[in-house]
Amino acid sequence: MCSSRPVASLGGVITIDGLVKRRGGKEILAGVGFEARPGRVTGFLGPNGAGKSSTLRILLGLDRAHSGTALVDGVPYGRLADPVRTVGAVLDGSGAHRSRTGRAHLRWVARSAGLPPSRIDEVLALVGLTDAAGRRVGRYSLGMGRRLALATALLGDPSVLILDEPLNGLDPEGIRFVRTFLRERARSGRTVLLSSHLMGELAETVDDVVVIDHGRIVARGTLAEVTGTHRNLEDAFFALTSGSGR
Amino acid sequence: MRAVRAELAKLGTLPSVWLAAALALVVPTGIALLNRGVPGPDRGYQELAFGVMGVIVLGVVAVSSEYLTEGADAGGGRQLTTSLTAVPSRVRFLAAKAGAVVLVAVPLAFAATAATMAIVHVTLAERAAALDAGRLAGVVCYWTYTALLAFAITVLLRHGVVPLTVLLVNTSVVSVTFLLTKFTPLAYYFPDMAGMRMFVGRIGDDGVVIPPLLGLLVMSAWVAGLLVLAAAVFTRRDA
Repeated sequence: MCSSRPVASLGGVITIDGLVKRRGGKEILAGVGFEARPGRVTGFLGPNGAGKSSTLRILLGLDRAHSGTALVDGVPYGRLADPVRTVGAVLDGSGAHRSRTGRAHLRWVARSAGLPPSRIDEVLALVGLTDAAGRRVGRYSLGMGRRLALATALLGDPSVLILDEPLNGLDPEGIRFVRTFLRERARSGRTVLLSSHLMGELAETVDDVVVIDHGRIVARGTLAEVTGTHRNLEDAFFALTSGSGR
Repeated sequence: MRAVRAELAKLGTLPSVWLAAALALVVPTGIALLNRGVPGPDRGYQELAFGVMGVIVLGVVAVSSEYLTEGADAGGGRQLTTSLTAVPSRVRFLAAKAGAVVLVAVPLAFAATAATMAIVHVTLAERAAALDAGRLAGVVCYWTYTALLAFAITVLLRHGVVPLTVLLVNTSVVSVTFLLTKFTPLAYYFPDMAGMRMFVGRIGDDGVVIPPLLGLLVMSAWVAGLLVLAAAVFTRRDA
């Protein structure tokens, strides 16, 4: 398990409390609440359809909750003074239009936040996309699209990173890159919150674990606390979420 | 203003916007060339009324590009999530996008009007109608409003194909709104039929005469109403 020293100056505490969301008469979130803290990688785990994406989308102000709060440093996402410099988000795919080049995509995001154009080359180099920057996003592989999404999230060098299934579709090299990268972000005092349904891939990466099943939080704590008496995180996960129809 | 600059950067790097610009220039000038040698009080203006296709494409793709979903093998993402995490205020995002559409539509309208009128005056010489500043302003207004109309309808539908098809067919192949005037005079108050009155004197057999100023007011009301409705729906629904 990884222990990290707390760094106070950057901020970036995520506080989620009592989130309820209904869709089509079905309750997809039934009072979800947890916290993700700076200097730590928080794994938000659960089977497909458990409510991970919905929770993250509400946290990012993309979807609306019926009740409850999701705050970054005490304010809802929509009221952050400088969202791109505070939070970076990696959701589905690349988040870019396929007929634009990777560089052109990063350029408009940088403009929207008033970031210097030099950041574009920096983040392209950081994720290893420099050579593909002039190619249209529609020609990218899945892994390259995910790297572009990560580059976009990093443009503002934010204190919080929120990633929905960041390992999906990555080759082993990509998985290793993302894992190492996220650990480094946390080590520098930033907050990392990532969702995943892949337990085995995560045990070496996360400090804290939140387990969601059928829209409810079924466990939360440090990796050791959640693993408990089980052999590993994967066993604990299946014990906690058994009967969820996998 | 940062949000407007970002939206302008988006428009400038979208190939379909360049197609829209080409259409805006080629369609009215092309029709003006086909009609050369046919004098009339609405020569040039009628071509520009048909020529709005370019700004229709502009208004539609500015919005539909946000909703275009990547294929499942590319992760199924949409640009809209990136846009709204960068500019979380829905109203600010939509206003910036509409502003960028206007900033592109207005110069396009000026360029198309200048080119079309130049062709009319060269081909008709002294038989061409004298230029009228009020009517020319009407053309620019009509084009800008048409782009915003296409924009607002696409926000409501979240998809480009239907508004693009309906609006383009209505201006070119079969004008449904014009045909409806055969059944009810109320159809003269559709935004396109009323808005054209800002610069076209006669439409068909003219069951109803709408003065230019009333045409401006009617189309303004349509555009304002649809923009407010689009904003109200957009701010309330999940992205």
